[in-house]
Amino acid sequence: MSAVAALDEARALLREFPVVDGHNDLPWALRKQAGYDLDALDIAGDRSGHLHTDLPRLRAGGVGAQYWSVYVSCEEPDPVAATLEQIDCVRRLLDRYPADLAPALTAADLEAARREGRIASLMGAEGGHSIANSLGTLRGLYALGVRYLTLTHNDNVDWADSATDEPKAGGLTAFGREVVREMNRLGMLVDLSHVAATTMRDALDASSAPVIFSHSSARAVCDHPRNIPDDVLERLPANGGVAMVTFVPKFVLQAAVDWTVAADENMRAHGLHHLDTSPEAMRVHRAFEERNPRPVATVSTVADHLDHMREVAGIDHLGIGGDYDGTAFTPDGLDDVSGYPNLLAELLTRGWSKADLAKLTWQNAARVLGAAEDVARDLQTTRASSLATIEALDGPAGTG
Amino acid sequence: MADLQDDIPATVEIGADDGLPDDLFGDRRPAGELLERAHALLAEHPVADGYSGLPWALRHLPWYDLELGEAAIDTDVPRLREGHVGALFWSLHLSGETGGERAVTAALEQLDLVRTVVESHPEGLRLVGTAGQVIDARNCGRVAVVPGPAPGAALDDSLGILRVLHALGLRVLTLAGTAWAGESGLTRFGEEVVREMNRLGVLADVSGASPATAARTIALSKTPVLCSRSAARARRPHPANLPDDLLAALGEAKGLCMVPLTAEQTGPAVPDVADHLDHIRDVAGPECVGLSGTYDSGVVHPRDLADTSRYPHLIAELLRRGWSETELSLLTWRNVQRVLRSADFTARATQQRRASHARITELDAAP
Repeated sequence: MSAVAALDEARALLREFPVVDGHNDLPWALRKQAGYDLDALDIAGDRSGHLHTDLPRLRAGGVGAQYWSVYVSCEEPDPVAATLEQIDCVRRLLDRYPADLAPALTAADLEAARREGRIASLMGAEGGHSIANSLGTLRGLYALGVRYLTLTHNDNVDWADSATDEPKAGGLTAFGREVVREMNRLGMLVDLSHVAATTMRDALDASSAPVIFSHSSARAVCDHPRNIPDDVLERLPANGGVAMVTFVPKFVLQAAVDWTVAADENMRAHGLHHLDTSPEAMRVHRAFEERNPRPVATVSTVADHLDHMREVAGIDHLGIGGDYDGTAFTPDGLDDVSGYPNLLAELLTRGWSKADLAKLTWQNAARVLGAAEDVARDLQTTRASSLATIEALDGPAGTG
Repeated sequence: MADLQDDIPATVEIGADDGLPDDLFGDRRPAGELLERAHALLAEHPVADGYSGLPWALRHLPWYDLELGEAAIDTDVPRLREGHVGALFWSLHLSGETGGERAVTAALEQLDLVRTVVESHPEGLRLVGTAGQVIDARNCGRVAVVPGPAPGAALDDSLGILRVLHALGLRVLTLAGTAWAGESGLTRFGEEVVREMNRLGVLADVSGASPATAARTIALSKTPVLCSRSAARARRPHPANLPDDLLAALGEAKGLCMVPLTAEQTGPAVPDVADHLDHIRDVAGPECVGLSGTYDSGVVHPRDLADTSRYPHLIAELLRRGWSETELSLLTWRNVQRVLRSADFTARATQQRRASHARITELDAAP
């Protein structure tokens, strides 16, 4: 199949089964760049140069459903307060662009939006710090429409280990398992992106509903802690969940991983923290980048991950989570939210069938949300709101 | 109720000697008969109670059944029925026991508890958000539960959080105790908060606020404001009680002064409470006075008003003092209905206004 024909076919496919994307950080970008002034950064027009995401490019990319991340930094003085502001931002976007964005809480809402040709809009919270060790707050987020919680972000929480922090709990604590059970009861998806492999395994043990990885790729293809090890991918068929492949170059391309390690070491050698963005630090970083050109990921890099994940987890357990506006760099050909057809075209030339691609883009993600609702309906017949506290289950603060 | 016609005194020219004793409105019928009439009146016009501390009180109970009755607290479904309570504002209490708990998290937890408690008592209680839903609940024989007031601290100075709390059901916010509603009145951000509350349909509660804040809020708000727990300063010099000039201003704006049934603010006995109600009716008007039981809030109540079943005793006293059926129906039910309905109407009328993204750091920056 020629490249042009493949792209045409990809676009045709996306018209029927558009992309359910697992993770997009537009709300955080609107907070940081515009202080939530939605007039100042109006996504009804082309906002390239500022954002990876706007309505015209979502349409061009064939996006039919989006989990908007209501992420907040662990450094926020009150992460719960900041999370509520993020949720408010998404609600305002939905009020503002009703012809393009459809509020969605259920799998049925997803299908309705697909029929209407609107982009189903869901919310996902990124990190257990957003619930402040409080199941009442977790239920509050659910009531506000949040449909997944990533158990951690880059730092551990009191009840779960992150992939990018020092191991402490060794996975989930007793309270962590209670959080998972309460999420099951509510019908909120358990998101295992960002968490340590130990946490992934504990959560798979504890969860009675399918889990998701909202934006993670394969560790066997690129050895980065943010990616999913094969033994975990192998458990997805039994669990029913989906791993939504992410595009972030420093997670998916081994050369980019190595380059990032070297760049961080260079910063430390200059007595700077590797995340420092002061003018001095940026000078040091630019000098490094001049000497060592940054390796560039491509569509093919991401397709390699999908080929592997398909082999290990199976076609019924794959999805897409671009992490747009949550990452500075993107692969060539997947530069912004208009790039999904390029990925599908690449997979078509690799021999993926139309049926395979419909599962990847739409059907698997829609199935998982519906399955979580079914489990919740069952559990609610026998179980009331959990009144557990972290002190009761894990002991007084600090003893962990 | 035709029999009530008998109790309305004949009109006479002011100052004219009518030959009747001064205690013209005194009803000398036996107390039992007055109580019976109070029950009959309340069956028609139940109590909309402006303040209950139940969500916080329940937090401390390991187990409770409001449907069957619960001796450990002042409120349960049987006593609400006995007291003819038709609607109840549930206040959200935020101060954490550990001191480390943040206000926003506490507000979410309290709203979650409200939802859980109401859902687990579907025969007795119903969560409502509008005046129409209050009526629906009453028609279905359920006590309507309105979430609020919550302390302004719950907003963490953010209009986004105000909108989210409204989405979770909050309908009354107490302005006092925030950086934007202090001694010198509302700041620019404070005014934006009140405008956004109007847009959403969240009532402003100025109990405990400074006179400047109360006066500015009354002037600014497009819908009547509440005092969720204020009696008359002229009857009892408590800081949360309203002086006559504020009562008059509140009356002018058709706001609502809800008198708490607490010994501290009103006095130790039923006649003391009635004195406050008389005074506020006279100064602000019968359309501007309401009742706040303030039960389950850790305060001492006047004798004979110990729990939510006791409202008929207060109404009997007011009957004795000559309150008309109209006045009593306004006091117990219709004033609150009017204020809720006005908030709904104002919100609908201002829907074309977009959500405000103003931030306190921008509006209240030091000059």
